[in-house]
Amino acid sequence: MIHLKNIEKSYRRGAEEVRALKGVDLQLHSGELLAITGPSGAGKTTLLHILGCLDQPTRGEVLIDGIDAAKIPEPDLVRLRREKIGFVFQQFYLIPGLSVFDNIALPLLFSKKPLQRDKVIALAEMVGLGHRLDHRPAQLSGGEMQRTAIARGLVNDPEILLADEPTGNLDSDNSEKIFAILRTLTGNGLATVMITHNPELAARADRVVQLRDGRLSR
Amino acid sequence: MSGYLKLSVQNLLRHRTRSALTMLGIAASVGVLFSVLSFNRGFNQGLAAELDRTGLHFMVVPSGCAHEVAALVLHGAVIPKFLDTGVMSRLKATDGIALATPILVAQLPDPQRGKVDLIYGVDMAVLAAIKPGWQITGRIPANDSEILLGYEVAQHGKLKPGDRFAAPGGVPLVVAGIVGLTGSQDDAFVYLPIGTAQKLLGQQDAATAIGVRVSDPERMKGIIDTLAAAVPGIQIVTMGEVMNSIANLAAAARALSLALVLIAILISAVGVMNSVLMAVFERTQEIGMMRAVGASRRDIFRIILEETSILAACGGVCGIVVAVLGSRLIETFVRTVMPYVPSGKLISFDPLLALGSVAFILVIGITAGLYPAWKAAKINPIEAIKG
Repeated sequence: MIHLKNIEKSYRRGAEEVRALKGVDLQLHSGELLAITGPSGAGKTTLLHILGCLDQPTRGEVLIDGIDAAKIPEPDLVRLRREKIGFVFQQFYLIPGLSVFDNIALPLLFSKKPLQRDKVIALAEMVGLGHRLDHRPAQLSGGEMQRTAIARGLVNDPEILLADEPTGNLDSDNSEKIFAILRTLTGNGLATVMITHNPELAARADRVVQLRDGRLSR
Repeated sequence: MSGYLKLSVQNLLRHRTRSALTMLGIAASVGVLFSVLSFNRGFNQGLAAELDRTGLHFMVVPSGCAHEVAALVLHGAVIPKFLDTGVMSRLKATDGIALATPILVAQLPDPQRGKVDLIYGVDMAVLAAIKPGWQITGRIPANDSEILLGYEVAQHGKLKPGDRFAAPGGVPLVVAGIVGLTGSQDDAFVYLPIGTAQKLLGQQDAATAIGVRVSDPERMKGIIDTLAAAVPGIQIVTMGEVMNSIANLAAAARALSLALVLIAILISAVGVMNSVLMAVFERTQEIGMMRAVGASRRDIFRIILEETSILAACGGVCGIVVAVLGSRLIETFVRTVMPYVPSGKLISFDPLLALGSVAFILVIGITAGLYPAWKAAKINPIEAIKG
């Protein structure tokens, strides 16, 4: 499904050239829950951004269903991201003025799809927020906000869900709930990549890879 | 409500005070724009109607700055020049002239009281037509011994209708009526029948100007040409030219007010740009998230531009409403500061003008929103999400 081939990423920070990724090879399959761990600055988030077509590598190939995302123009990249990839962030990034329902439905607006009310409600119920549809983010707990963000990441029926430290701001109870949801999703065939600093959660993933100094070690 | 509109509205509602203040700036500039344009329109229409009501087609004035003399005669000022006494008889003898009514505006010194009266001699039968906006307490003089007083003259002399007025040389005159406060130079004049004014001045047949009505308006040009060639020392100004003359006097004030309005609009446009730009910077991470979940640069551009459009449209509509509601106040103020303002309602609601004003501010608002929208569309989602 996703195949990263010899990915390198470097950028300039002032006069210094930073090599964030140094020849990363990685494959991800449907229904797989992959955990990426590693110390801060190892290149985890850079790798996730390249997987999510938010960033392009300096060298290498990013094959998503056979299409090399490293070589396609920006509008195609946006379309690829819309159709195949869902994002979940550590900071949730919900829009404060919108309800849970509207936050979940937001990506439908950008993909120019009609509002699918039943689907949005089903997703909210799936993450345990069926009774909170009209609530604003300020009225939710951290765990509820992250579950809203997961539902938002799923509304476009992506093939891959990328979660950047989804439990980083949550207590252990809520972390468990989030992990359980991710597990259910992979059980339904969704490929999920989760960056985490929590070794216990990482150990329960289907596969764990560790990034250190821009290189992968298994 | 469409998804984009909902997103834009909730973004504006998130900072209610800031949005309201930005809208207030727009409303103020649109309100002033609408008022100035309405006033100009009302002024010109009022002036045309007022001149039309005089029933006169042209004025004969002493040679010199003819337009100014004609304009001053209409709204009251002393012209230190008289028409030659023979002009009136020459006019009456000219074929095609239906009416020739002399107007005499002069200063009349009264050594006994140690003051100078400003007198305005006119045929009382045409006074109501020349001064249509006047509110008179009492009545218009019915004979040669009756006069009408301007508001200030009456106040100063503590006079009321029926009182005697001490004219120079002991001529007995009675106050027939008093003109209500006009806020113009009309308040300082004593209005009296033309014959009485000529007698007081000791100038038989004297006039500062002669208003003329022709029997056939289509022949006016020929009559004017004949008169100009036959009578020396005069100039002839048509009512259209008088209107232009007064309108020109008002044009400077209009140009200044429009310049001020444009500056106000420019300031409000900068306010919109600043406000929306600030909102974009504050929402950098949110915009980054939207890009990550599938928004294109065009989507982000559209959301920001819709926000500025909403601000401009709501501000514009509020401005028009306030301007219409406050039009009486604005008119009262204008009448106290401008030396000549036609009678009647000057600021009225013209839907086309209102729509034009809102459309204009919408274009300005959208233009002001282009830069913030472009900045927002350029936000790099990776940098934004990193925070």
